[in-house]
Amino acid sequence: MSMTTVRPATAASAPAMVTRALVVTEARRMLRNPVPWACLALTTWAMWTVTPEPGEWPGASYEGIIPAVAPFLFGISVAASLPFHRARHDVAPAAPVSEARRTLARLLAALPFVVVALAYAVLVAWRERDLGGLWIGMEPGRTTEALHTTAELAQLVVLALVAVALGAALGRRMSRLVALVPALFVLWFVVSVYWLFGQAALTPYSMIQVQPLNITVGPASADPLSFPSDWLLVGNPHTSEGWQRQWVSEALAWWHDVWLLGVAALLLGVAWPRPGRRALLAVGTVLAVAGLVGQHVVIP
Amino acid sequence: MNTALAQAALPTARAIRWTPAVCLAGVLVAATVLARSAGGPADVVLAIAAAGLAATVVSGLHDPAAAILSAVPVSVMQRRVLRLALLGLPAMAVWFLLDSLTAAQVSGPGPMLALTACGVAVALWAPPRRAVVMGASTPVALFALQRFLPSGTVSDVVGWWLTEPWWVLAAATLLCVAGRRR
Repeated sequence: MSMTTVRPATAASAPAMVTRALVVTEARRMLRNPVPWACLALTTWAMWTVTPEPGEWPGASYEGIIPAVAPFLFGISVAASLPFHRARHDVAPAAPVSEARRTLARLLAALPFVVVALAYAVLVAWRERDLGGLWIGMEPGRTTEALHTTAELAQLVVLALVAVALGAALGRRMSRLVALVPALFVLWFVVSVYWLFGQAALTPYSMIQVQPLNITVGPASADPLSFPSDWLLVGNPHTSEGWQRQWVSEALAWWHDVWLLGVAALLLGVAWPRPGRRALLAVGTVLAVAGLVGQHVVIP
Repeated sequence: MNTALAQAALPTARAIRWTPAVCLAGVLVAATVLARSAGGPADVVLAIAAAGLAATVVSGLHDPAAAILSAVPVSVMQRRVLRLALLGLPAMAVWFLLDSLTAAQVSGPGPMLALTACGVAVALWAPPRRAVVMGASTPVALFALQRFLPSGTVSDVVGWWLTEPWWVLAAATLLCVAGRRR
């Protein structure tokens, strides 16, 4: 009598091997999509052309850097939505791999875009230093050496996660692939109009948060020298509400990153199959609420 | 023929997925209201709305039953026009609502119509397999290029949909007429 033995290690690693194979296949397909790369070129160009210029609105160059990422986020969402939309086909439920594993593989396959976003954030940091810093404020509260904080740059990476999650959610839930293009376009380009969320009450809910926040600190007749010397100020002729403080906060940016992580988890919950969906939605809700509360606490 | 089209209007309207378009219109109205309350220049919001609505109208050309309907005695172009009309009229209504909510300089439906016509022209002339996706992407691409290309001749030409919308509309309509049998 002969015996056939199966090594436990092989059995245990089989799901991981399947997942890895799926990740490689999906990643290859996603990375071959020209849309995110064309959008990355537009984003890089838009970021590169932001330079401080005399006579600009105080802080215009600082504000212009972050929203330039919008086209790349749109491209990431488009690329991520395609495999999730493909999963709607009837053949998918009969596949010998569980839906949760296939979903996980698709998400992991999209991670190279997050790595590219990280590289883009590093490029932004380098570009700002190459320019010698950006300008915020006007005399007597002015700097020409402003650099985005680590938290603000980290937002670019977290936004890439949100872009993947948004593409996954819409791709999985929308029945017509062609309807994704206008939906993703409007969502990403509307949130890139940062001044829509410029009021202190709305800033925590923004997707692409752009600092500085302008906080009114005194009437136009106030003596700007009476304000603390480390405040960055803007006043007449740039504002009609008197003197405003141009406020940049790393704490606010970190809490905003937490809010974005919550949004990403909520969107992933929409894309994820039923087992595990509740956990993602719960985690997303906790993070989103914590991020919102944290931002509201930080904003003066 | 017109009777056949009239009879096809209701089933076609039922076949169109309205939910994404309604959600998109809701986002645009919310953005316009925010722009109004913020008191900022709403031109860019209206330009986004023009491109988004145009892409939505063009995406309505996607007909999952096209192969079945190819045998009916109504030409494919007439069925396209019916779909464009069914989506275009509500899109126009949304546009005028947005326009009335702002005091932007870029007013009037010209840019939206021009982008829609460009998208339809691309959808007619592109390879059939990806025609509608390419057509729906055209308004988006024109908006993005106009916004991010450095100022110069190319940027000016790409931006004609915004600066000379009626000429662009006329040229794209001619292309559509030329490709009506495709």
